[in-house]
Amino acid sequence: MSRLESAKALDEWRRSLRASRCAGRRICVCGGPGCLAAGSADVHRALVAASQKASFAVDVCLDVVRTGCQGLCQQGVLVTLQPQGTLYCAVQPDDAEEIVDAFLQGRAVERLLYRDRARSVEDVQDVPFYLRQEKHVLARCGLIDPYSLDDYVVQGGYEGLARALCLESETVLERIVRARLRGRGGGGFPAGRKWEACRRASGDPKYVLANGDEGDPGAFMDRSLMEGDPHSLLEGMVIGAYAIGASKGFIYVRNEYPLAVKTLQRALEAAREKGLLGKDVLGSGFSFDVEVCRGGGAFVCGESTALMASIEGRPGTPRVKYIRSSERGLWESPTVLNNVETWANVPLILSRGVDWFLSLGTEGSPGTKVFSLVGKVKNTGLVEVPMGMTLREIIFDVGGGMPKGRRFKAVQTGGPSGGCLPEASLDLPVDFDSLNEAGSIMGSGGMIVMDDRTCMVDVARYFVSFLVEESCGKCTPCREGLRQMKTILDDLSSGRGRPGDAELLRSLAENLRDTALCGLGQSAANPVLSTLRYFPEEYAEHEAGFCRSGVCRDLFRFVVDGDSCRGCGLCASTCPVGAVSGEKGRAHVIDQDRCIRCGKCCEACIFEAIVVGEVTS
Amino acid sequence: MITLIINGLKVTVPEGTTILEAARRLDVEIPTLCHHEGLSPQGSCRLCMVEIEQRGRRRLVASCMFPVAEGLVVETETETVAGARRFVLGLLRDRCPRSEEIAALAARYGAKPFGRLPLGERDLCIHCDRCVRACEEEATGCIAFSFRGWARRVEGPFGEAPADCIGCGACAQVCPTGFIAVEEEGGMRKIWGKSFELLRCSACGKPFATREELVFQGLDEGDLLCDRCRKREFAASFTRGVR
Repeated sequence: MSRLESAKALDEWRRSLRASRCAGRRICVCGGPGCLAAGSADVHRALVAASQKASFAVDVCLDVVRTGCQGLCQQGVLVTLQPQGTLYCAVQPDDAEEIVDAFLQGRAVERLLYRDRARSVEDVQDVPFYLRQEKHVLARCGLIDPYSLDDYVVQGGYEGLARALCLESETVLERIVRARLRGRGGGGFPAGRKWEACRRASGDPKYVLANGDEGDPGAFMDRSLMEGDPHSLLEGMVIGAYAIGASKGFIYVRNEYPLAVKTLQRALEAAREKGLLGKDVLGSGFSFDVEVCRGGGAFVCGESTALMASIEGRPGTPRVKYIRSSERGLWESPTVLNNVETWANVPLILSRGVDWFLSLGTEGSPGTKVFSLVGKVKNTGLVEVPMGMTLREIIFDVGGGMPKGRRFKAVQTGGPSGGCLPEASLDLPVDFDSLNEAGSIMGSGGMIVMDDRTCMVDVARYFVSFLVEESCGKCTPCREGLRQMKTILDDLSSGRGRPGDAELLRSLAENLRDTALCGLGQSAANPVLSTLRYFPEEYAEHEAGFCRSGVCRDLFRFVVDGDSCRGCGLCASTCPVGAVSGEKGRAHVIDQDRCIRCGKCCEACIFEAIVVGEVTS
Repeated sequence: MITLIINGLKVTVPEGTTILEAARRLDVEIPTLCHHEGLSPQGSCRLCMVEIEQRGRRRLVASCMFPVAEGLVVETETETVAGARRFVLGLLRDRCPRSEEIAALAARYGAKPFGRLPLGERDLCIHCDRCVRACEEEATGCIAFSFRGWARRVEGPFGEAPADCIGCGACAQVCPTGFIAVEEEGGMRKIWGKSFELLRCSACGKPFATREELVFQGLDEGDLLCDRCRKREFAASFTRGVR
């Protein structure tokens, strides 16, 4: 591979790559986290073997590639055929030969297509999950081979960088400012303003950092981007470094993401070899290099000052920050830290223009946002929607709503630093400011949907327990305050709650918010404060010893509603401890001494005759 | 020079001064725990929080680290500040129920323990980090915090006696609650599970420093003077000069 010495050379290379591929037919096997767990490596192997066998018989070349996350994790292993865009769901290695044969004959394997009600959908774009999405940041994720720079370039990669290098660095900065790009890592701070401050600050060298330390339970946005389209992150960082005048960058990735680390390292090598990174980028005279820095897997290392301490080789604990990192950051040098998704937006702004970017999303939050939609929703997966789409549209249109006719109860956004929003907030447009006002945060994009069998006190307890484990322990409020809150939540969910506990929790949480040292400590109160705000009745019931959702085992019992029970016996046959009994056709009864409150009977009953009742002494 | 207002009083201090330093010039009392004049500040105990108003927004900041700014308005005795102090001291009362120092502070600022934590073994460590900073800044940096969160504790590497410890006792000297045990008996000092022989002052003969300390500071055994004698010697050198 020869180095590209100019933007023109990149353009020519792209054209030659495209010309050599015009007839290319591809089978894309999803290698995202969900599909990998579902066995996509075996499916990939089987498809490679099948296509080799087929290419001996008929003289055509079929390309089988492992891509990043294709989005609809619920239906994995996913396989997409290009250029047609046929989507296959739940593919098994045994399906490989049939898929290849059908592909060569120009037809689809009916039984593997996505099924929407009774209808099967062939084109991926018509699948309801994808219909309302606008994939720009994720446009290449799931389409290209993440190890292949060629693939990235064919799809328009590094065009943004080439354009940026033809402009004055001030102009590049001015475009980011004008695009009003806000940080996708949680805070929503205007990236342009951060860059501007860093550019103005005196100090050398200057650094740009990418935060890939995603640690929220249920979140995999940045992971998917790093694993599925690493060059988009790199390209964004090179453009940012050019605008700011930085010469060195670090990508901070947790070591629990080994595939992301590997993919990024390969991408760095490939970009360096081609002269897209390192000395004299694209013959412009501008030099910049990036290193991957692996984190040991502490949640707190996602906090900016802790992340920098960790890169410096010190324990990852936050520092009191009254001077911004853009003035004094990594090794006391001016530093810009943005999250992975923010960086991936940068090339788009340069290549497609500021006005295009401003046409997406809302006035205050332009652009799109990637979410990992998980929990009690039909279509779990990775989604990208324009800012301002309502929670209802994301959960019900994209996510397909609640499974098995359960009722929606709450949605948790923003991970442990975020909050739970109730049904009344469903029509809230999802942008930075609206979510903040509602007492939650956008966060990096985790979205956990909860149904009526979720206990909100238990949810608060889960997040607070997570935070107790992850608190670094440096400041008193976070170290001691969270532990106090956890004790009270443990008491509430095990029947040891006392009157006034909810108020005590509120006071502890508010004090924690106001006094903790770092952003993580301050926002650690959110899960408690938001559930207290929207679900006060559940706290009141827990103080009195009742859990309406049937989750906290000591605070409820399952009872059979004699009027609804038809005596079908389904419950009795599913009960693992034989606690349900009754004659066929007659109302059944539950032996409370035997019942372990696992909820199997309740799930099995098709007449909703098993209900949650209060514990009577 | 920068002029700011603390509790309605004007004070002018050099740039880079912290609110705490400025307040002490005015004899305004702000309680602290992790702060120590001889050590770099870290703002982790959160006891010294004060309320400031900036660009129309009021918030709590750690006065031991917040640099003064022209026209900054600081309040140290509002209900918000008092609440924050009660919160921090209440938490520490639960953490270290046996600490007399914390009990005294709590009584002074009207803080009560929350009393909800399960009973268990408690030590006197309030995690102020003064010992670790003292060791890092004045000695060999042989102790540090291991683990994290509630379970975090100060110790030598792998919980063993720290190999690099020179027995200087700086850690124990700065500890606000007496958590770090140091024993001196029969010309020996015991600290962090290690025993050190104490050398005698060449003037008064009092055993006071370890040999390891001397080596660390690059001093000779011959001209070894204890603090008291060194002060006396220093003063004497002045009077000699006057004559």
